[in-house]
Amino acid sequence: MKYKDYYAALGVPRDADAETIKKAYRKLAREHHPDVSAAPGAEARFKEIAEAWQTLKDPEKRAAYDELGRRPAGEDFAPPPQWAREFGGGSFEDLDLADLLATFGRGQRRGAHRARMPQHGRDYESTVRISLEDAHRGAKLNLQLGDEEGGARTLEVTIPPGVSEGQKLRLRGRGGKGRDGGADGDIYLHITLAPHPVFRADGHDLHLDLALAPWEAALGAEVEVPTLDGPVVLTVPPGTRAGRKLRLRGRGLANGRGGRGDLYAVVHIDVPGALTERERELFRQLAAASRFDPRAVAGRGAGS
Amino acid sequence: MTAPPVEVGWLDAREMITRSELARSCGLSEAEVTELVDYGALRALSAAAAEPVFSAECLPALRRAARLARDFDLDLFTMALLLQYLDRIEALERQVRSLRAQVPFHALPGPREGPQPWHEPHG
Repeated sequence: MKYKDYYAALGVPRDADAETIKKAYRKLAREHHPDVSAAPGAEARFKEIAEAWQTLKDPEKRAAYDELGRRPAGEDFAPPPQWAREFGGGSFEDLDLADLLATFGRGQRRGAHRARMPQHGRDYESTVRISLEDAHRGAKLNLQLGDEEGGARTLEVTIPPGVSEGQKLRLRGRGGKGRDGGADGDIYLHITLAPHPVFRADGHDLHLDLALAPWEAALGAEVEVPTLDGPVVLTVPPGTRAGRKLRLRGRGLANGRGGRGDLYAVVHIDVPGALTERERELFRQLAAASRFDPRAVAGRGAGS
Repeated sequence: MTAPPVEVGWLDAREMITRSELARSCGLSEAEVTELVDYGALRALSAAAAEPVFSAECLPALRRAARLARDFDLDLFTMALLLQYLDRIEALERQVRSLRAQVPFHALPGPREGPQPWHEPHG
């Protein structure tokens, strides 16, 4: 068994009181927690700190640890012979120091062999980014999972149709193997959607920018718009203002419950960047003939 | 060799989870889950049943809060507060996503992913 210097891990003297140890742990945890720090190695460093804390915060575990005396970190050593007796006669061969000390805190020293403690398999958390089309139709993907021994395995997972941004899924029993009768762990998947060149997703609804020429917006038009099922013809009513949302019912994303969200075509009105002489002339005539003042009522860009 | 099909559970309002399973999945005791209900951080769907059941929606945030509580050595009441804030953040993030989806591409500021705008912002 390898010796680990828990006091050094927390940067406290061996005679530090409980409060000092707690403060040192919190300070280091705040700095190295994987949720806070993106630095490489932060997770490994955090594990070291947490392992030290798990032992030193518990007076019984700390006393047992202190019994081992002071050694250089990484030194191979054998735990005192009476530990083996109290530990239930088990072998220390395949045991890590933290696992061994953990049993001291659970009041199982007397004759309770660790083989009796069911251990839940490890849970995995993974974020997967999929396309909008895959969310709509479902997809198969290969998940890479790293295990504790540093190995890796690949799991083929079928994402059902109907997931949306932020959806969480659970694959029961597909995590690490449970030990001594404990259940296998689970895999938690967090779904995010890759940005789509045309559609923006809002839950299961989709939004699409629909550019109209001024005359199309004013006179109404039949325009072709893309949908997940291919292009469809949309009727733009006369007098359609910028910002108006034209709904195509049931053309959004599948919701996994047999239904679908809606698709909204959000109108904005575009003008030619450069006008031909004829276009300029026609616009001038229109300007002269029209009494329309867009700033008179609703304010620019508002209204639907 | 064919692997058994992977059972996919939806962690949202369409699935329910019992108190014992919720506790096990988050590394908490059932008594701790009950205490979180007492603090108002969790709400059971049917408290009258022999064993309370919860919406599976609450599982990811509770797992996260429980992990942070373990890692930072927080007490259960602090964890309850944390859980409420995590829920609030989640709701606000959903709202931001929803609002962003409604903003036309050409009106979104700054560099972003997706198609290029066809209007340069004025000024």
